[in-house]
Amino acid sequence: MQRRTFIQSLAALAAAGALPLNITQVLADPANAVSVEDLPKLEGELTLYLGRGEGGLYENVIKAIEKRNPDLKLRIRRGPTASLTNAILAEAKAGVRRADLFWAVDSGAVGMVTSADLAQALPADLTGQLRDEFQFPDWVPVTGRIRTIPFNTERLTADKIPDNIMALPDSDYSVGWAPAYAAFQSFVTGMRILEGDKVTTDWLKAMNRKAKKFAGELGVVMAVERGEVDIGLANHYYTLRLKAGKPDANVDLAFTNNDAGCLVNASGILALKEGDLPANFIRYLLTREVQSYLAEEACEIPLVSGVAPPQGLPGLNTINPPQIDLTRLADLRPTIDLMRNAGVL
Amino acid sequence: MTINWFKRQHLITLMTAAALFTAPMTFANGPVGEHVNHLSDNLETYSQEVNWLSTKVEEMISRYQEGGVDEAKPDLLVEYWEEVKFHSAIETSYVPVYASIWQGLFGVKGALEEQASIEEIRKQQRFLEESLWQALGAVKLAAQYQDKGLTEKVATSQANPSNSLEALDAIKSRLDRVVAKYAEKLPKEAVSIVHDTYLNLFEGVEGELISLDADLVEDLEKDFNVILPQAIQKGQSIDEVRQVVNTMKDKIDTAHSLLEKSAEERKDVF
Repeated sequence: MQRRTFIQSLAALAAAGALPLNITQVLADPANAVSVEDLPKLEGELTLYLGRGEGGLYENVIKAIEKRNPDLKLRIRRGPTASLTNAILAEAKAGVRRADLFWAVDSGAVGMVTSADLAQALPADLTGQLRDEFQFPDWVPVTGRIRTIPFNTERLTADKIPDNIMALPDSDYSVGWAPAYAAFQSFVTGMRILEGDKVTTDWLKAMNRKAKKFAGELGVVMAVERGEVDIGLANHYYTLRLKAGKPDANVDLAFTNNDAGCLVNASGILALKEGDLPANFIRYLLTREVQSYLAEEACEIPLVSGVAPPQGLPGLNTINPPQIDLTRLADLRPTIDLMRNAGVL
Repeated sequence: MTINWFKRQHLITLMTAAALFTAPMTFANGPVGEHVNHLSDNLETYSQEVNWLSTKVEEMISRYQEGGVDEAKPDLLVEYWEEVKFHSAIETSYVPVYASIWQGLFGVKGALEEQASIEEIRKQQRFLEESLWQALGAVKLAAQYQDKGLTEKVATSQANPSNSLEALDAIKSRLDRVVAKYAEKLPKEAVSIVHDTYLNLFEGVEGELISLDADLVEDLEKDFNVILPQAIQKGQSIDEVRQVVNTMKDKIDTAHSLLEKSAEERKDVF
């Protein structure tokens, strides 16, 4: 087992002391994604802990892998990513390992496992399939999502939206948000990391005076679309999916610049068991076919080269996500406390 | 008769009888008596318990007629119900009737406490007894399916749906449970189930569903977050809450059809 001593975010690794990661870099360079046809057959037994998400599309990927590999016996434990993370940590503490693989819907959960020294080092030729900035020694980001500001197109244009998330409380726009939502809490954690707890608390308090609360982020986007609020805070794919079902929907996406408002988060997978089989399973998730499937069906951002981004993700050459250690998003407890203290939760 | 002192389980695995018997187990959060996996072996006990409950209600009403509400001790009704094994048998077999039993119990209890006319008390008693016998019928039917291996073993931990269609089935079961909890006079728990169902199940489906029918998602969003919680919090009647739930279940059925069709048309991964 190899301890990861310095895990940087997708963005930070992209930068690695150079330029900050730009989303166009993520999506450019269509060079050498591997095809499933080039992969070895999977034979043996694996136990996968699968974080729930994407309405079963991850399940479709897994079923396709199983169908293609009849000699693979795959046991799956499903649940919320946070619960599975806790289970893995608790099992390790008890001296047992039940999971061979962990596919989490957010990189914060990955960070909790890697920082506990539980993730196995992955072969360089596997991580090397990703661009340099996405290469981690002990986990693989599978797909990405970006924080956005959906806005009502009947009232606003993208250029009217502040490009600084910290300026939102001072704007005249009504805002929809979903503070109880995990993606929002990761965003607040990102803000804490970038701006500090006091600034984040002040921002939350100021926003709380003007924001309308929703249970989920799709609800936020729908409220923006029908004009109940002017703008919202949500992951990118809700707007894309709404527009897929309602092409004339009155909503579009705006992005802030180099702050938590355009944070890129990622789903990720890691191996807890040594050997070729877990690593080879991971290879399937990085294939051109799986990455395309998740981009087309789930509107997620592919993180390997040579796969087109989801249709309708606009203005990519203008997006500049912050440099942030995404695995630090696992530090959720202080965020929850802070949100409660600010009266948001 | 000997009563098995089976403590009430608040969160028990559910197999809806609608899914009756074809759909897999839905949800469970707590321990459950193993007898629910051997319904046929326990049918005689369940029948005895239903008869015993009916007798107890009749005795209570007689005491009421003789000595009034103090003599009747209507609080005992809930205790009687919570003590019988049949309680979990119907809760794991068919939640809609389980809810009706609670509705009937509180109907009788309320009528006694309010010192209603004997006609009103008898009316509530009839509703309760009908619900109990209907429940026994549902359990007998479930036992037949169980014997034929057409139902899955009742599990004791929460199941996680593996796709959107399973999630929708689970949502319907949870909605039945909302009515059951409301009928048990546990409105906060009922609202909590609504919220949990939205966040843990529907929220995972709606992203896929919205690309197929945005209006349907909008309707259900409103149902989950406004209509149903408000119906409960405003103290509407059980029948009114049940109507809201039934309307939502119809929409869930529509969603099921849409997602099923979409899944058939979706491209293969490889």
